[in-house]
Amino acid sequence: MTTTALEQELKEMIIETLELEDVTPEDIDPNEPLFVEGLGLDSIDALELGLALQKRYGITLESEAESSRQHFANLKSLAALVESRRQK
Amino acid sequence: MTDLYLQDWRAWTPHREADGESRLDTQDKPAGKAVPAMLRRRLNLIGRAVCDMLAALDPETNRIVLHASRHGDGERTLEMLYGLNEGDPLSPARFGLSVHNATAGVYSIASGNRCSQQAIAASGSEWAALIAEAHGYLADGQSSLLLVFSDQPVPQRFAAYAPASLSAAVTLQVGSQPVGDAQRLVETMNPAGDSPLQPLDIIDWLMGNRRRIACPISRRGWQLEPVRS
Repeated sequence: MTTTALEQELKEMIIETLELEDVTPEDIDPNEPLFVEGLGLDSIDALELGLALQKRYGITLESEAESSRQHFANLKSLAALVESRRQK
Repeated sequence: MTDLYLQDWRAWTPHREADGESRLDTQDKPAGKAVPAMLRRRLNLIGRAVCDMLAALDPETNRIVLHASRHGDGERTLEMLYGLNEGDPLSPARFGLSVHNATAGVYSIASGNRCSQQAIAASGSEWAALIAEAHGYLADGQSSLLLVFSDQPVPQRFAAYAPASLSAAVTLQVGSQPVGDAQRLVETMNPAGDSPLQPLDIIDWLMGNRRRIACPISRRGWQLEPVRS
């Protein structure tokens, strides 16, 4: 499965924003969970990632937890969110 | 007052030679191996060094930790203040790690140590405060505990208002009993001393380059003496 340009951009953003040592873009599987399992991100990372989405793409996430959970499930869902809601 | 013994210690600083002392780590970048990578990424260099030293001294992770630092992570705090001034939103991760008990907190999560922890800043009397607190815990029935004293250079903007300091951290295991190669910590009153003690001074003293250390503000001095059998 090929990685889209947006997915690649998001991988790089995640690594840079969350200061993930020793993680390369290739290590992030677009279909694997980002949080707890898979990449193993935590709740502070979720806040940090929300901030990065706001800064870079102008996306403000609603505070309702269930939809955020779906958007942040994996890289593919994150890319779909950015695709549909980006302001810049 | 309860007797206080120095039971063991570890130190880190890239700003002096180890002179063959294996308890002193002089690497520029401490490994931070005691902390899993996903937690380690948020620690600064001192934080990595401190977590490794605590793990080395307390593999059973059942000791109280007292962590003193005069300035804490001044760089991180100042960066956030600059950002706020520009109207930038705060980074949650940076904010979380800028607080004074950040390193001790990460150590507690990584090691599973659920004992009490205390973060201390004392305007230059950090060492005196650590020893006073340690006496309190020992009098309360603890048999031994871990003391950490760490500092890094004050951000350039404030450098003119504080004594120059270099990155260094020292971790000591102290207790009420003279176990192993313990030395007795002897306290004296009104010693001669001119400037506030910094972690590098403590390292110098532990390595035997100074006989006494003194805290001018608290008017106390300390020296290590062999345990009489």
